Amino acid sequence: MSFIALILSLALAPLLLSIINRSKAVIAGRRGAPLLQPYFNLTRLLQKGVVYSDVSSGLVQLSPVVNLAVLCCCVVLVPLGPIPAILHFSGDFILLAYLMGMGRFITMLGALDTGSSFEGMGASREAFFAALAEPAFFLTMAGLARITGAQSLNDILQTINSEHWLHATPSLLLIAVAFFLVFLAENARIPIDDPTTHLELTMIHEVMILDHSGPDLAMIEYGVALKIWLLAAIFAALFVPPGTNVLWLPLFLLLMVAIGMLVAMVESSMARLRLIRVPQLLISAGVFAGLALFLEFVQ
Amino acid sequence: MLTLMSLLLFMLVLTNLTLLGSSRLAFCIRTVAVQGVVLGLVPLFGLQPFTLQHGLLSLCAIILKGGIFPWLLLRGLRVARVKREVEPFIGFNVSLSIGFFTLIGSVIFASRLPLTGNNNTLIIALAIFTMLTGLLLLVSRRKALSMVLGYLVLENGIYCLGTAVADHIPMVVEFGVLLDVWVAVFGMGIAMYQINREFDHTDVDRLTELRG
Amino acid sequence: MSSLLILFLLIPLAGIALASRLRRGKHFFLLSLAMVLLDDLCLLVGVLKLPTSLPMKTADGWLYLDALSGWHLLVMLLVYTAGSVFALDYFHNDLAGGRLNRATARRYNQLWLGSLWTMTLTLLANNIGLMWVGMEATTLVTAFLISIYATPAAIEAMWKYLIICSVGIAFAFIGVLLVTASLQADASGVHQLFFTELIKATGYNHMLLKAAFLFSLVGFGTKAGLAPTHTWLPDAHSQAPGPVSAMFSGFMLNAALYCIMRHAALVNHALASDQFTSRLFVLFGLLSITIPAAFILYQRDLKRLLAYSSIEHLGIITLGLGLGPAGCFASLLHTLNHSMAKSLSFFAAGRLGQIHGTHKIQQIRGALHSTPLWGVALAGGLFALIGTAPFSIFISEYFMVKAAIGRGATVALIIFLLGISVIFVALLKQMIPMLWGEGNIERQESSSWSGIMVVVALLTLLLFFGIYLPLPMHNFLNRAAALAGGLQ
Repeated sequence: MSFIALILSLALAPLLLSIINRSKAVIAGRRGAPLLQPYFNLTRLLQKGVVYSDVSSGLVQLSPVVNLAVLCCCVVLVPLGPIPAILHFSGDFILLAYLMGMGRFITMLGALDTGSSFEGMGASREAFFAALAEPAFFLTMAGLARITGAQSLNDILQTINSEHWLHATPSLLLIAVAFFLVFLAENARIPIDDPTTHLELTMIHEVMILDHSGPDLAMIEYGVALKIWLLAAIFAALFVPPGTNVLWLPLFLLLMVAIGMLVAMVESSMARLRLIRVPQLLISAGVFAGLALFLEFVQ
Repeated sequence: MLTLMSLLLFMLVLTNLTLLGSSRLAFCIRTVAVQGVVLGLVPLFGLQPFTLQHGLLSLCAIILKGGIFPWLLLRGLRVARVKREVEPFIGFNVSLSIGFFTLIGSVIFASRLPLTGNNNTLIIALAIFTMLTGLLLLVSRRKALSMVLGYLVLENGIYCLGTAVADHIPMVVEFGVLLDVWVAVFGMGIAMYQINREFDHTDVDRLTELRG
Repeated sequence: MSSLLILFLLIPLAGIALASRLRRGKHFFLLSLAMVLLDDLCLLVGVLKLPTSLPMKTADGWLYLDALSGWHLLVMLLVYTAGSVFALDYFHNDLAGGRLNRATARRYNQLWLGSLWTMTLTLLANNIGLMWVGMEATTLVTAFLISIYATPAAIEAMWKYLIICSVGIAFAFIGVLLVTASLQADASGVHQLFFTELIKATGYNHMLLKAAFLFSLVGFGTKAGLAPTHTWLPDAHSQAPGPVSAMFSGFMLNAALYCIMRHAALVNHALASDQFTSRLFVLFGLLSITIPAAFILYQRDLKRLLAYSSIEHLGIITLGLGLGPAGCFASLLHTLNHSMAKSLSFFAAGRLGQIHGTHKIQQIRGALHSTPLWGVALAGGLFALIGTAPFSIFISEYFMVKAAIGRGATVALIIFLLGISVIFVALLKQMIPMLWGEGNIERQESSSWSGIMVVVALLTLLLFFGIYLPLPMHNFLNRAAALAGGLQ
């Protein structure tokens, strides 16, 4: 069962990205690209050749591969709603966070390796914001662990139920908000970063991959989709009924679609924050999560 | 347990943190108004047996803090054509972090207070937190209007402390206090208007004519 | 008899109401004076019946007058009477010259009477919450007295005063709340938070009560201008018109200190010892004596100079409160003496400022020659303030030293003497050129009757109490000091 979930995740990840884009288009009054557009893009990119800069070393070639590899590892750790994760053990969310951290690290190295000043700037911003988002992520996880009494990501997400929501409404609400902010930051969405911007000066994530092309770029794009999928799966699991009944799976997937639409709504309704304000948002997320954890300790 | 009370207290914390982290004056004014309403409701739920007088007092507090103050201050904002940003001395991130640690400190402090037979520890903690937030706003903001807001938050904290620790305060005094706060805000509003007229700004750190 | 207390509250209100019916600028000031004189009359009636009538209560116990508040009431009315008479002289030119229009004159006098009302309420309130309400109201009413001439500097001073004192007084309210919280263990016999009930109550939580006192001391201490939260004081005093500065320094600070005395009495009584409050009083007193010394030495503005001197004298009064019953006696006497001397000095400073067009010490030269009346007033006021012999401040400072020796507080005594010596020299250095220097304006002959009357009366009183302290007053002060100590 878990392996089916694995394949499902790997296959459907780009679809979620495309749902976000399509919803944005609809909200803006356009028709938007077809839902399968990300898949078309990936196949197109895979058929292209690769260009490397003269000044770069092997890191540029290495980084997309490693990035995709660690993200695939992450898929193993995250349960897909009622279907448990393939691998789970106490404190596995720490591994998850650092696997993602490693992906980010290698992407940053790749960006620095190209020698472009724009990409160096993007890498520096990515490092700064990630440093702020990471504590918030850990605090949300710690809060959830405290509320549910479970210790692995899988158990946390599968035990959380309406009972918890009744007893710890404020904490869970805070955690949900904090996690959503982390979700936006990790995936470089508006209001933290704009994935569709064309101005290098304001970019964060997109600017780091400017010099990648062909299959490398495909790997990176696919990695982006996987990351959104994974974090959305965690976020959605906060709201579905507990247990391992497979019948809940359609509901869970619907919820993920809803999250995609929520992201689209957020992106359509607000502009990207000034860079100087981004840390404020992430610190707020950290404070929210910390507050939730604290509330749980007080009670 | 999910009670109305815990929700109110939660709102109180959120409004405080929002105030520390937000940059728009008008938004801050509305946040303080929400906080006033929340605090007006606190004494009605579960603390004391409900009496007509308490109800009346709460009603007055809510009307004053949730209605009249924000109206006055928003009007002041419009009339004085203040620039709409808060412009803090201490940045929003640092303020927020200080706020968070203050909250933890207040709870630890309140749990050690020698209030035997008093189970309102959490309310007292949040009252202390609100007062400290008010003080932080007072010392770390540049605009005259945000100082008034800081004062109001401080008052809110004291009001909250009052509901938690003191049930002997006679009604006359409670109303006197409300009246005083009203006049204070009114007076500060007029003062702000005069500052704006004489100096063409309301930046408190630029009031440096008197020293020594 | 006790309906007198209600009269004290009604008279200023009647004055405020009447002021709206008047038309001419000068009438407003006469009205204020009349109302204050009516108050004086009530006080006189009270004083004549004194032995039997104190303490008295009325309005279900909400209003209460004992020796301590009675003494402060006396000081207050003295300051207000002098201020009201002086206002006739001070505002005369501005009224004639049109700088003070009718509406402003009305507002000034309504606020003046309003401040009298709030201070009376503070003194007469038997309830600690109501006392707080009164004190906070004084801030709000008097703030607009500072900026009656809306110059930028005055508005700045008003803003600082309003914010700092409002926040300070808010702290005092935490003190009030903590007093009630400390009672919760055993609340029998306390229904309305009356002082008369609180002081009899037992079963306080001592730690909370101590915390309550700390908050009251810091809170009301801000309003009383105790260092280190005195920063609003020089600004407000220097920008307010003459009579208002005199009232601020002469009584408003004391009213705040009175509130602290009430709380201290409560704490002392509950703890059955004045150790705790004494230490704090001595600490804050000495701080307030030493910090202004530096500012006085290098001060360039006459009114700011006087303001810093007020901080010093409030420090002396606070120090006295920490020196046992004898110290309390000296403090209360000092309250009266300082209020008279400081009013006189501020009157002189106000008029000299008007005549010279500035309060800069450098510009005021040879006052004794060019403006004899105000020169004499300034000389008298300043010599009294630094504690020279025939004036009454010398006597109260002498009592203070005696109390310190009796209490064995040697370190405090040394710091106190050092502080006032420095200020003695500093003030002398500042005042000599002002009084005897080379005059820089024409000699002015004419002085109004009201001015002469105020100066002569205050100087006479200062000298009189410096030479002789009547026995009834001595006894009355002893009773008040015992109440301030709170130990019986």
